[in-house]
Amino acid sequence: MSDDHGLVEMQPTPGQKLAAIFKQREVRVATAWGVLVTFIFFIIGGWIYPSWMPIAMSTDMKSIERLIVIFTWISAPICGIVLGFSIYTFLHRHKGDTPPADGPAIRTNSLVVGLWVIVSSALCLVAIVYGLIEMNTASAATAEHKKNAMVVEVTGSQWAWSFNYPEQGVVSHELNLPINRPVEFRIISVDVNHSFWPVQLGVKVDANRLQTTVVDTTPNKLGTLDVKCAELCGLYHAYMETSGEVMSVADFDAWVTSHQGGHTA
Amino acid sequence: MTTLDHHASVRPVPNPKKSLITKLNMGTGLVVGIIFAVATYYGLGGDSAGVFENYNRTLLATMFMWSIGFMVGIGAFIGPFRWLIGKDLTDEEQLYLAGDGQGIKRYFKYCTDHKVVGIQYMVGVMALLGVGGTMAMMIRTNLIQPGSKFVGPSIYNSLVGLHGITMIIAMIIVVTGPFGNFIMPIMIGAADMAFPRLNALSWWVLFTAIPVLCSAWFLGGIPTGWTAYAPLSVQAGPGMNAFIATIIIFAISTAVAGANITATVVAMRAKGMKWNRVPIFVVGATMSVALAIPAFPTFMVSMIMTGLDRSYATTFFDANLGGSGWLYAHLFWIMGHPEVYVILIPGVAVLMEIAPVFVRKPLFSYNAAIAGFAGITGLSVLVWAHHMYMSGWMPMLNGPFMVTTEMISVPTGLIFLVILGTLWRGRPWLKLPMLGVYAFLWNFLIGGITGLYLSDVPADNYLHGSMYVTAHFHYTLMGAALTGALAGLAYWFPKMTGRMLNERAGYISFWLVQIGFQVLFLGMFIAGAEGQPRRVADYSINFATSDLISSIGAYMIGLGMIVLLWAVIHSWRHGKIAPMNPWGSKTLEWTVPYPVPLVNFDTPPVVTSDPYGYGKASN
Amino acid sequence: MSGNQSTMTAGKRVASAVFGVLLMVAAVGAVGFTLHKASADPQKKLFATKTSETIVIEGKSYPKATITMGVYADTAQAKEMGYNTTNKKDYVQYGPSTHIVLPAHTYVTMTIHGYDGGEKLNAPFFGKVIGTVGGTMNVDGVDVSEIPADQVQHTFTIHSLPSTNRDPLFINIPLQHVDEGDDGLLPTKDPGTNFKGHTITFSFITGGAGEYVWNCEYPCGDGTYAKFGAAMSAYGYMSGKVSVA
Repeated sequence: MSDDHGLVEMQPTPGQKLAAIFKQREVRVATAWGVLVTFIFFIIGGWIYPSWMPIAMSTDMKSIERLIVIFTWISAPICGIVLGFSIYTFLHRHKGDTPPADGPAIRTNSLVVGLWVIVSSALCLVAIVYGLIEMNTASAATAEHKKNAMVVEVTGSQWAWSFNYPEQGVVSHELNLPINRPVEFRIISVDVNHSFWPVQLGVKVDANRLQTTVVDTTPNKLGTLDVKCAELCGLYHAYMETSGEVMSVADFDAWVTSHQGGHTA
Repeated sequence: MTTLDHHASVRPVPNPKKSLITKLNMGTGLVVGIIFAVATYYGLGGDSAGVFENYNRTLLATMFMWSIGFMVGIGAFIGPFRWLIGKDLTDEEQLYLAGDGQGIKRYFKYCTDHKVVGIQYMVGVMALLGVGGTMAMMIRTNLIQPGSKFVGPSIYNSLVGLHGITMIIAMIIVVTGPFGNFIMPIMIGAADMAFPRLNALSWWVLFTAIPVLCSAWFLGGIPTGWTAYAPLSVQAGPGMNAFIATIIIFAISTAVAGANITATVVAMRAKGMKWNRVPIFVVGATMSVALAIPAFPTFMVSMIMTGLDRSYATTFFDANLGGSGWLYAHLFWIMGHPEVYVILIPGVAVLMEIAPVFVRKPLFSYNAAIAGFAGITGLSVLVWAHHMYMSGWMPMLNGPFMVTTEMISVPTGLIFLVILGTLWRGRPWLKLPMLGVYAFLWNFLIGGITGLYLSDVPADNYLHGSMYVTAHFHYTLMGAALTGALAGLAYWFPKMTGRMLNERAGYISFWLVQIGFQVLFLGMFIAGAEGQPRRVADYSINFATSDLISSIGAYMIGLGMIVLLWAVIHSWRHGKIAPMNPWGSKTLEWTVPYPVPLVNFDTPPVVTSDPYGYGKASN
Repeated sequence: MSGNQSTMTAGKRVASAVFGVLLMVAAVGAVGFTLHKASADPQKKLFATKTSETIVIEGKSYPKATITMGVYADTAQAKEMGYNTTNKKDYVQYGPSTHIVLPAHTYVTMTIHGYDGGEKLNAPFFGKVIGTVGGTMNVDGVDVSEIPADQVQHTFTIHSLPSTNRDPLFINIPLQHVDEGDDGLLPTKDPGTNFKGHTITFSFITGGAGEYVWNCEYPCGDGTYAKFGAAMSAYGYMSGKVSVA
């Protein structure tokens, strides 16, 4: 009933509310853990994860590696939140054989739930948009490539790959490609499902019986290519691998010449 | 109303002397099943002189007749038959079927008591996990070094495929089988399930599938993974028939069990248990089996079509003659994706049930939990073709499926919110069940994030078909769902067996399994990122280190699970006698004593609030 | 220590635990042992015979070695040709062993006797001779570099996992088929003679030590999809190992 002289009690500003939340020790400690975890995942995403991946020999593979870095960075704060709270509560556990006393009866917190949904949806949207843009870029590039692409017909059979270069009139069990020339792989299987995977080129598509599937890319770095089968196809699936090379145009032409007509190892 | 009203001690032990049901049990089931099987096999021409289609027909027919014969021999059809001829089972016979007064023998009979069925499922799941786990040890031993020196590629491929299907079957039933049957009706205040005879049917039908699955080993194994892609599955040897028959039989069992659980939860909750007072475990389990009901028939259909292609030279999956391998992939994955959520949701629901009890706080945002489960259940039927991004089926639909797949991360995130919110500001009591919650938080986080990469179409160009995928789904199915199931085992063990699970052995097992799990599957992520394909018996030397480390982790898991098995068996017989409510939980199952009476509650309970009323102040 | 221990004394409990765990580990081990034994090669290894000759190819000198195999329509034929096969199933098969051992850095001359008929290759690529010295093989005295896809009875195709610690080796030899009679059957054996077949000889140079695999690329399995089932999908008949040591 005191006379407040007309002064209106101020509602705390959002800034003050936030500060009040952070004044609580448990929030600060959990946040600190969260920041540490986020940082660790940031490092993993940016440097450790990419170190496991093979050398990128096409822009497709490069953009895959970049995407993995970026998605790890997007996920890092999520890991921070989840693990920050987990670690804090774990360390703050009740020890003993009898149950602890009841904790505060928090049934819900609309602000937290709402914020969570909004932030997770936003991150999800970022991932979706990023992926769709990548896909669009790739298909636009493919449309460009097709104009000048060298066709390589890939045949998957149980349990070896064979390649036919119709333009050069060469068949081979190794996948040799000239650098910087767009290549269009046309893949088919003569028996069961296989999956054509030239690892360093960052493309993959199944080889289906009597249905040709197509994938395009441009190798842009010299080096060894591994070609693997990525779909279990029976007894020797593990051995359905071959290798090849991305070579300079001169070397490639020399290889083609030596292969036309005769077949040496 | 009936004799069930009386307490067991004054109720006469039922002994319907003239009834056939008193003489039937697992033994008679085995005998009749074997007779049917042998008669069918030789009646249809035995090994058919090796003619492919005939032999497949013979084998499939033999396996189905084994199953039907067993069910005849154990008395599954007596009830329906008697009802058909208008002489329904008497009350005394029904009491007999419920296992009243038969002691341990009722576990080997066609018993309708949901608690008996729950224990039967538990033992069955343990057997499946044991067999599947042993196969996993074989797989990892072969991969310790390059060269496939432990087993050859033929046996290795069979190990991979059969390990997969054994574990998938085990994981589908690991929570809803033992706990969905034993605990759930008590938890909702019911006397039994809605359809007790169907309950017994679902267990025994599943039981008949187990020898069928094992017979694959004696028929030459299978060359496919558990996904059994056509056309390789059509090319495969006789062992494939065992796979086909197992799935068809299993689909029947699951459909029946799913319908039973759903009907029970919808129709038989206690008075006062409105939908917003139903324990979250019940909600999760029900949603998952409701999801299974539309999903599993497509798997069954895909297997029937594979069986027809093999046995009658139909051409559903032969592109040469008008069919399509992609048809199989669709039918399979329309089941395959919802199926992983059928596996995941019950495990998560168990952990959500456990967390409030051990933190002594209410479940944070019950509605968010429901929304999370509902969102996952609903979206999961729209994402299946993300397993087919690289199949070349229809590249322009990869984008829409990517969108739906990535959208699932939002309701999945709500699960984390609920559990973290429950933990926050509480002091967790780190008994064995609660440890499972923490393991889940880490494992599902990793599983979910690695799923994010896989859901992205360009990244999947690299990651599809590599060990990365294998590591991802083990993190979600095993790291999250199995952890939830094992936490449930530790939690409900006192109510199901009357004894406490040996705690020290439990902790040893937990840490061995979880740490071994990280070693194994983090190592596998690295191998996948480096470019190792999956399902390979042999690999390039550059993967040797990752694979060696992974195999060491696998042995740790194996040892940990063996310790757990010892703990379960030992505690079941010699464990400390458990009090009625050792964890201080507020759900209904802890209000009944052990042994739980036949009809669970002497007086049906009346519920006045949800079971999360912990806390110093109420909202 | 928590009270959740058992009604058994501590000593007995630990003993029960140790015993139980060891028993289960032993059970898993027994399964492993059984599978390992079941994966053993069905026949003993077949070693190449080193000769005392050498040969110079492109300025380098290599010792020479020879090895002979046969491919038979079924187990009965294999036995009749004197190869004591231990194969359990009556499939088409290579003999006398599917695990051959070749010396490293050697000019290996391999002879394959083929007694089977054929239909048509799934993948015509495997009708070409690949990986031999000179790019040809010798069929009954005539050098050829490829065979039409519908005249092949089987192939002998050596390949391996590309690996940094192993020299690549890729050999493909299509085997000329035996003409079947008008009745679609292989020519029968006259008393005192061998089955009619073709003798195919080819030479290649092995690299350093390593493990390789070989399999037939011709659809000679049963009537299953692409005819790659049965014999073609069972190790030890139309597939095997090559050890270069």
